[in-house]
Amino acid sequence: MGCSSSLPDRNAGRLGSLNNGNSMVTDSKNLRVKLVLLGDSGVGKSCIVLRFVRGQFDPTSKVTVGASFLSQTLALQDSTTVKFEIWDTAGQERYAALAPLYYRGAAVAVVVYDITSPESFVKAKYWVKELQKHANPDIVMALVGNKADLHENRSVSVQDAQDYAEKNGMFFIETSAKTADNINQLFEEIAKRLPRTTSSS
Amino acid sequence: MDSSSAFSQPNFYDFLNRMRHPASADLVRAIKSFIVSFSFHTTDAENDSRKLQDFLVTMESTIKEHPLWAHASHEEIDSAVEGLEKYVMTKLFNRTFASSPEDVKADLYISEKIRLLQHFVRPDHLDVPRVLRNEASWLFAAKELQKINSFKVPREKLLCIMNCCRIINNLLLNISMSTNYVPAGADDFLPVLIYVTIKANPPQLHSNLKFIQLFRRQSKLVSEVEYYLTNLISAETFITNINASSLSMEESEFQENMQSAKIANEETVTGHSSVLQLSEDDATTMRRHGKEIHVNLEGCLYPFMGSEAKELTTEDVQQLLRLYQQVVTRYTMLTKALARLSLHEEQLLHIMKDPAGSTELKKEIEKRIHEGAK
Repeated sequence: MGCSSSLPDRNAGRLGSLNNGNSMVTDSKNLRVKLVLLGDSGVGKSCIVLRFVRGQFDPTSKVTVGASFLSQTLALQDSTTVKFEIWDTAGQERYAALAPLYYRGAAVAVVVYDITSPESFVKAKYWVKELQKHANPDIVMALVGNKADLHENRSVSVQDAQDYAEKNGMFFIETSAKTADNINQLFEEIAKRLPRTTSSS
Repeated sequence: MDSSSAFSQPNFYDFLNRMRHPASADLVRAIKSFIVSFSFHTTDAENDSRKLQDFLVTMESTIKEHPLWAHASHEEIDSAVEGLEKYVMTKLFNRTFASSPEDVKADLYISEKIRLLQHFVRPDHLDVPRVLRNEASWLFAAKELQKINSFKVPREKLLCIMNCCRIINNLLLNISMSTNYVPAGADDFLPVLIYVTIKANPPQLHSNLKFIQLFRRQSKLVSEVEYYLTNLISAETFITNINASSLSMEESEFQENMQSAKIANEETVTGHSSVLQLSEDDATTMRRHGKEIHVNLEGCLYPFMGSEAKELTTEDVQQLLRLYQQVVTRYTMLTKALARLSLHEEQLLHIMKDPAGSTELKKEIEKRIHEGAK
């Protein structure tokens, strides 16, 4: 166990004053994007992010910030950049009801499960339904099967996950935070799918 | 954490100095008339918030164009707007902070609840991993939260929250560096923050969070700052709603814990408030007998029942206010408890006149509590 966590958003209209539209800030070339991570505890949510954030620029450096909020900028081939602001959420069951506070206003939701744990896949489907009901309707969703390196213990088939993702209009990928497999691909693919409202002034 | 942009110390004196400059007369006028404009309207937090936010945005562009800030860097402009927020919010603090009776009630409710939870909630109940337990660091983090009422300005209150989160993050980081523990992000962070919040019982938690959300400059409530503020809001939400299942406890165990916590707290309260009226001996008896107190020693508990207004001294008024607050808090809680049992106060009082009725009532209440527990 270890690397994992996920939390919700602030949909449930507390004060309605907190900026709603700031999840994605565009100056046409540089996007700033709020990405929320959801998934059972133990599936490796935060390991994926640590891999993504540390792995890219300086793999030897120790992070000097918290592991629950991280940001990382991706430079894309078309010379635009996407700055991901990654909001981790606590994955334990007792905190599930708090998730809406976190996914409110998010432009991207990454729902993670562990390919060796069918329960975590059930939980992932629960999050997808929650997001469909309560999140921003334009949210880009990705379904991520983590711990792909443990394929000898696999209990969620690629086909099942793929089918589920397709049915729900999600992008699907299997990753290994341990070997770094597909980690950058995950974020690059998300970046490509972001709506580019070229509302440049 | 990113401390540079969000929390560099803006130079407030620099702002005040510039405001004294003759060239800023127009700004001073705008600020004064903005503050005065509040006195024409009744207090309404949402409305006040909108007015303030609009004002800050307008003033930011005015400052950018202003001769006094010609050639100023982005940081200098930002520092000026921070100074403005501080000045204006200090003036408007009494009007905007904890201004509605609902806020006061919510603050009392949550701090009373935390006072009970402090007696029995342990790190295990919240899924804080064993390896992360470090009471000393938690104490420092809790101290930061407790400082929140030493400040009147949203930015500075927010800073207390960020400092608390920073201490927790440092603890998590140190542990992951010194052991084989793999950091688990929010799975670690949120439970620790909730535990620290319970330990701290920060003053007026609800009002402080609301105040920051409404009156901190919106362009500053983004990214990391917004994330950590959201975490404390979610800690508050979690604590407000804590029940047996959110702590993985049996209902009966939870109720028992709450009950004994209540008794323990009541004993402390009565101990304090009655010492003034009682001789040393009486006071000891009272503490020893705990529960009977309210029935038998009403006169001592509510010593002003027979007083005349003109007899009261300043000290009496302070004590009276404290007693009043206790009584109102308690009465509010009791009314809520009755409502939850679908009972009306008058109904209850009526039944209590008749000794037979009270046995009936007792059975009925037990039944409803039992049903409610399921």
